[in-house]
Amino acid sequence: MKVEVGFRLNGYEVRAEVEPHRRLLDVLRDTLGETGTKEGCGEGECGACTVLVDGAAVNSCLFPVCEAAGTAVTTVEGLATASGSLSPLQRAFLDHGGAQCGFCTPGIVMAGVALLAENPNPSDAEIRYALTGNLCRCTGYIQILDAIRTAALVTRGGSSD
Amino acid sequence: MRFEYYQPSTTAEALELAARFPDAEIIAGGTDLMVRLNKTRRRPPALISLRRVRELAHIENGAGLRIGAAVPLRDVAAHPAVTAGYPALVDAIRVFGSPQIRNMATLAGNLCNASPGADCAPPLLIYDAVVELRSAAGVRELTIEDFILGPGATALEAGEIVTAIRLPPLPPDARSMYLRKGRVQMDLAITGVAARLELDGAICVAARIAAGAVAPVPRRLSRTESVVAGAAAGAETWARARAEAQDEISPISDVRASEQYRRHLTGVLVERSLAQLASTSGGGT
Amino acid sequence: MTELRHIGRDVARPDGADKVGGRARYISDITRPGMLHGAIKFSEHAHARIVGIDTSRAERLAGVRAVITGDDVPEVRFGFLRDNLALKKGKVRQFRDEIAAVAAIDPDVAREAIDLIDVEYEPLPALFAPEEALADGAVLIHETDAAGRPATSNLVPALCRHSSGDLDAGKRASRFVVEGLYTVPRIQQACMGTAGCIAEFDLNGNLTVTAKTQIPFLAQRDFTNALRALGMTGKSVRVVVPAVGGAFGTGLDTHAYEYISILLAWRTGKPVKILYDRHEEFAYLSPRQSAELFIRQGCDENGKLTFREIEVTQDNGAYVSWGATYPNVMLVAATSLHRVPNIRFDAKIDYTNNTYCQAMRGYGNPEVTWPIESSLDDLAAAAGIDPYQMRLLNCNEPGDLTPMGLDLQTCGLRECLEKTAATLAWERTRSEPRPRGRGVGMAALINVGGGGKIYRSDGSGIILKLDDFGNVNVSYGGVEMGQGLHSALTLMVAEAVGVLPERVIINQTDTATSPWDVGTHASRGAFMAGNAARAAGAKLRDRIFALAEEIYPLEVERNLAALGEGEGLDEFDFRSVTRDGFDLQDGWIFCKDAGEEPWLRVELGRFLRSAHFAKQGGDGTIFTEEAFYEPPTDLPDWEEGYGNMSAAYTFGVQGVEVEVDEDTGEVTILRLVAVTDAGRVLSRQAAEGQLYGGIVQGVGYALYEEVISAEGRILNPGFTDYKIPTAADIAFPIDLQWVETNDPEGPFGAKGLGEAGIVPTAPAIANAIYDAVGVRIRDLPITPEKVVQALAAKVGE
Repeated sequence: MKVEVGFRLNGYEVRAEVEPHRRLLDVLRDTLGETGTKEGCGEGECGACTVLVDGAAVNSCLFPVCEAAGTAVTTVEGLATASGSLSPLQRAFLDHGGAQCGFCTPGIVMAGVALLAENPNPSDAEIRYALTGNLCRCTGYIQILDAIRTAALVTRGGSSD
Repeated sequence: MRFEYYQPSTTAEALELAARFPDAEIIAGGTDLMVRLNKTRRRPPALISLRRVRELAHIENGAGLRIGAAVPLRDVAAHPAVTAGYPALVDAIRVFGSPQIRNMATLAGNLCNASPGADCAPPLLIYDAVVELRSAAGVRELTIEDFILGPGATALEAGEIVTAIRLPPLPPDARSMYLRKGRVQMDLAITGVAARLELDGAICVAARIAAGAVAPVPRRLSRTESVVAGAAAGAETWARARAEAQDEISPISDVRASEQYRRHLTGVLVERSLAQLASTSGGGT
Repeated sequence: MTELRHIGRDVARPDGADKVGGRARYISDITRPGMLHGAIKFSEHAHARIVGIDTSRAERLAGVRAVITGDDVPEVRFGFLRDNLALKKGKVRQFRDEIAAVAAIDPDVAREAIDLIDVEYEPLPALFAPEEALADGAVLIHETDAAGRPATSNLVPALCRHSSGDLDAGKRASRFVVEGLYTVPRIQQACMGTAGCIAEFDLNGNLTVTAKTQIPFLAQRDFTNALRALGMTGKSVRVVVPAVGGAFGTGLDTHAYEYISILLAWRTGKPVKILYDRHEEFAYLSPRQSAELFIRQGCDENGKLTFREIEVTQDNGAYVSWGATYPNVMLVAATSLHRVPNIRFDAKIDYTNNTYCQAMRGYGNPEVTWPIESSLDDLAAAAGIDPYQMRLLNCNEPGDLTPMGLDLQTCGLRECLEKTAATLAWERTRSEPRPRGRGVGMAALINVGGGGKIYRSDGSGIILKLDDFGNVNVSYGGVEMGQGLHSALTLMVAEAVGVLPERVIINQTDTATSPWDVGTHASRGAFMAGNAARAAGAKLRDRIFALAEEIYPLEVERNLAALGEGEGLDEFDFRSVTRDGFDLQDGWIFCKDAGEEPWLRVELGRFLRSAHFAKQGGDGTIFTEEAFYEPPTDLPDWEEGYGNMSAAYTFGVQGVEVEVDEDTGEVTILRLVAVTDAGRVLSRQAAEGQLYGGIVQGVGYALYEEVISAEGRILNPGFTDYKIPTAADIAFPIDLQWVETNDPEGPFGAKGLGEAGIVPTAPAIANAIYDAVGVRIRDLPITPEKVVQALAAKVGE
């Protein structure tokens, strides 16, 4: 038996008829067609499915879609500006080689967004700690750290160049 | 397959649902339950979510603390009364899962999952925390020892919901901390040790020591505690506590570590935490 | 070649924006109209006869479209030795053997149906340890080979050995000899994107497979064989590669799940997708091989190496993949890392009922470098020589022809050693008093850097197509799987043709449009692509310059006309320039001998449009050129262990400083320096990314990772119990430095570097631990528990 769930996705109201046991991840990807959010493990270990719910980073693979009702959900698709240009953090990932295979990247970018919203000037240790829930097998994390550090600087300076 | 997802907004409503669906699963953060549901295709007839129950979503600070069952761990660790008075709990939450998990998982959920290595359990044990359970029949309170009965087994009865964890006030000069080791930074515990020490000059007047992942349930190490209580604060006592702890526990071998290494490491952590507590100033920092 | 304009620049990867924006489409993101979802029933025994399979309950489940077993589809045989079947018949040889499969309308129904398949087994004795498998009278895991000939033992018929010099003379000349038995575990490649594919037939019976693969063309060959098994001869197979969520060797073979999805698509007439979840990836996809390696090596009184003996026993598991050829690659370091005059290498590979294994980054090289570089420190200690000096004393040099016949055209190992030592302040750090538990160590590497010939061709083709606007579309058969192939290729094509990197567009890898390539492995992608691009780029330039004799003067006149009367008149005779007088840079055609005047420069797109359209009389032309680069290498004779298998060799050294907590056994890396001779850095960002990533995988291999199994069943099939490093575990600086030796065969001087990072990390760490606390760990991973045990044993000595 399906239920109707409505929430705000990347600034727009969405509504979906879903089976109540579905995860937010399934509904984003399969029902709403936003496949930027990835499933890497389905058990909250890898962080590839990280999205923001009312600003808090969560594993969408562990998040019952029914709990999203009435919330504001932000996914990687919601970060670029309306004209399609990348956000400062995405830009920094590009400039510093923060993405290789790119599969973990949307989740790591979202974890980074959550970190910088809460702590605009994080230390390296704070960045590493904020990423403990996001596995990356390609980069060794070094260039990801460079990217987040740079984005923090750019964002504090109010300029993206 | 029938499956319902209920989102009550009051405790009374939640209890009514729990009575109506005795086989329902209660979900708060869902970080353990959802993993279980994802892995198996068998589903309970209903999930009763506590996330929208306002009464369970805050921390009351009176005589001690009452932490609602729906408060995410992140908020527990950030609460000034917790950081000021219960640092071992903050230590445990700091190594608990990831930021994403801490944004969802709850103290009550961690206890209900009843894992032998539950990180929050050793700190709650040394703080004499109490689990508040409610049902249509009323309310009862259990100690952590009485609540967690075995791996994955609790004293929770059908129709009953954990509504809060209560932390009694501590003596003003109690010091406490939690040390734990995993294989990498985000891991389940190989072993975790919570210790609480009260000193009078150079004498340990009271000690509470609890450990996780060293027995079927997280447990107090009472023999180790009695080695410390009344003894002189110093390396000799800490070394005796280490030896006693290694002897007192009954760990198993699994993919994370062998029984022998768990014994060894638990002793090391007991010794280190006591030494560290004795060398810091009192007053719960 | 004129001065390089783009090579070595720090540019963003061409696929980067889509990746950071969540737009890149991986196999998990792709659907097809009418697509069904497949799922597989895996064995519940390590070794058993299949007595019966009852699929009736699964067939009755609503939403199920097909259930197949080995008994009701044609036999599809595959694998390096063709010893594997898509669906097993008669018996299972490992826990993950594929017994039956389902196609259904959604993944949940497919998996539910799998649970409804009942299999009756008759268990057989199972073998899990190489010594058991090779014992006399052991039960045979494969009773026959692929051709039906009876087998006589569990030894895999893939010999690899080497013998050079005079081993006995080497031993007699030795003043010091050390030996040791080293082990390496199975580890998981742990790609963040799990395995999957979509198989789809068109109504002409031609097959398209969208596959997460590193070998689109060998896969095309394999799938064509599968069609033949289905009686579909003369049908074509197309392999399309989507964005790849990490591969690290997992895509070097074709897999049972790919054949199963072909069978299900064939049976249902619908596109069928199989996508592994994380549990399946861990439990049912092949990990890196485990091995035991015995080493003995000696030196004379001055520290000069006198001989080296290595015996490898590799636990292959139940079937043979390309990964069984690890020993072929082990030969490179075994014979040629440091100058060693007398060598014996012997490898045996055996079948067991463990999970079968496959390739992973480095492919035998991290395995063999582990004992070589660990025992070299033991030898240095025995001889009373500093380990750094020991390596300098025996250092490979440019121009060496090694005992295996490797032709070291360039070799920057000495400089790598010196820079590593200088960065760590080696002499001072090791001689001065230091905090308890601190130590430094180093380890060196040699790796194939110009392909690695283990197949009949090690070549790569490329097609460069210029459009009407001055863009270059590149069709290349190699796979961008995150490593930055497309970053390097973009720069090399820009350089080779003479356009800006942003005008280079690389097409999706697709066997229908890309020319043949053997596969993306052995650090070969950029090396091969670059050499092919240089050849094709030169052809394009030749044709452009030939036509420019005719078109260039007309275009300059147009420039002048646009500028108006009186402008641009000078003495340069732009009307009689010949083809040798032209150049093309950054998308502008000009004359080498002319000045910088803007009217003497012709924009490439305008030139191409003129060539295409403006000429009347039907002789307009367009520009597409192809090239195929086959490196000048040998396919070695594996029984002799001799042959120059790569066109260039990459060298490097890693140095680490560690702190060992003697109470807990924890090893903390304080800093790591990696100095690499990769010929020349093509794309700095991509090169650094490859080194960082490889090193951190090396840290995982050294300290954390192991697929743990009991009686063939994997006990840690997920990220909860199988730990790869997190960002918080890499809390130390990694200092990357480069030695640029400009290899003559390398494209723009470059040698391959994709694997170098993971190769020497574990022995460098182990050597640092030895320096810190005096214990030698010989079994990976170096867990705190092993360190505590070794320290306790040392106290007990």
